[in-house]
Amino acid sequence: MTDNRPIEERVDEVVIGLADPAECESITRLAETDPEVAALLDRARLRYGELDDTAEPVALPDDMWDRVAAALDSDVEDTEPVPATTVVPFLRPTPSPKLLWTSITSVAASLLLAVALGWMLMSRVEPTVIAVLVNDAGNPVALVEGTEDNTTRITLLGPTTVPEGRIMQVWTKPDADGPPVSLGILDRVESTQLGAEGLPTPSVNQLYEITFEQKGGSPTGLPIGPIHGKGLAQQPL
Amino acid sequence: MTDHAQLIQACARGDTASLRSIMEAEGGRMLGVAKRMLRRVDLAEDAVQDSFVIIWQRAGQFDQTRGAAKGWLYTILRNRCLTMLRNNIWEIPTETEIMERLQDSDIIAEAYDRLDSSSDLRRCLDGLDDTKRSAVLLAYVLGYSHGEIAGRVQAPLGSIKAWVRRGLAQLRACLS
Repeated sequence: MTDNRPIEERVDEVVIGLADPAECESITRLAETDPEVAALLDRARLRYGELDDTAEPVALPDDMWDRVAAALDSDVEDTEPVPATTVVPFLRPTPSPKLLWTSITSVAASLLLAVALGWMLMSRVEPTVIAVLVNDAGNPVALVEGTEDNTTRITLLGPTTVPEGRIMQVWTKPDADGPPVSLGILDRVESTQLGAEGLPTPSVNQLYEITFEQKGGSPTGLPIGPIHGKGLAQQPL
Repeated sequence: MTDHAQLIQACARGDTASLRSIMEAEGGRMLGVAKRMLRRVDLAEDAVQDSFVIIWQRAGQFDQTRGAAKGWLYTILRNRCLTMLRNNIWEIPTETEIMERLQDSDIIAEAYDRLDSSSDLRRCLDGLDDTKRSAVLLAYVLGYSHGEIAGRVQAPLGSIKAWVRRGLAQLRACLS
């Protein structure tokens, strides 16, 4: 598919991490038999490797060697044969069902414009659960109403200051023991309705949280920014 | 200075002390690279641990004539991190596990600033416009995919791919 592209470009994309696993494997195979490709790879790694040197070293935990030594006989990799080369192919993705929600909502987060609907457009559906999100000082900052079809209405309470360059991202934990999942992004300080597909109906004691994330949403698919407010859902009587 | 190539070759002969020497020489930096990409210390430690196991298992395949030892080591680490990122191997983070809450733009700016002032890479990155430079840095430093870069800079995926390719071509021309 991409084979007619210049080999230098393909090598660069492998080295900076933008090639998909199949392409990595393809370049790996080429490098096995073609010293010129191997040389291109080595040169690109050397160039971009300067950026690895800019990472601040972090002290290894005391037990790191014990962990490595204990794992030496284990099989970290898949059992597929590894070609004899200095090129290291990507490991084959092994999709894990338990990560499904995270994946779905990561995609949802990147499609934020598609899911954020104006407050005015929503049709009022009775909420299944309501959560009042409070900040560290214990002040209420948002009211979250979750409906049976997982429409989530966010009503911001009081003055809301979003740090420069950030947006608000709304999270919930449909499974108390599972990862938080993104319900969407509030790129404006206004009450909003968010739609998320594929999530179970919200339930009592489900955690809701708003964090300040970089524009476009958390890059990891998990909340990593400061918490604006959080709270547990209750059933309205 | 540690001769990484000799140490890797010794690993291939079953010398675990050499693997440990590599870990002592490069482990801290490798953990730093992994932490920057994965954002969480616990995941970064897992990536480093796995990488040393892979280094051990593949040491016999290392061919000094085909590439530098350090590049070989970091490629293993980076690929491990990318695999973890792409597979979305996240579990529930606890407060202590969550990394310093730095924004991506700060992290890539820091990486760029820390490049040696005499570095050709830095000089050539200087020559790129902001979007192309950011795209290349987001990919390499943070392990962003094309789609994630598109989300980050709010541009269509096709444009991002084209920008990255043009950026890489400019860098190659500048660096050659």
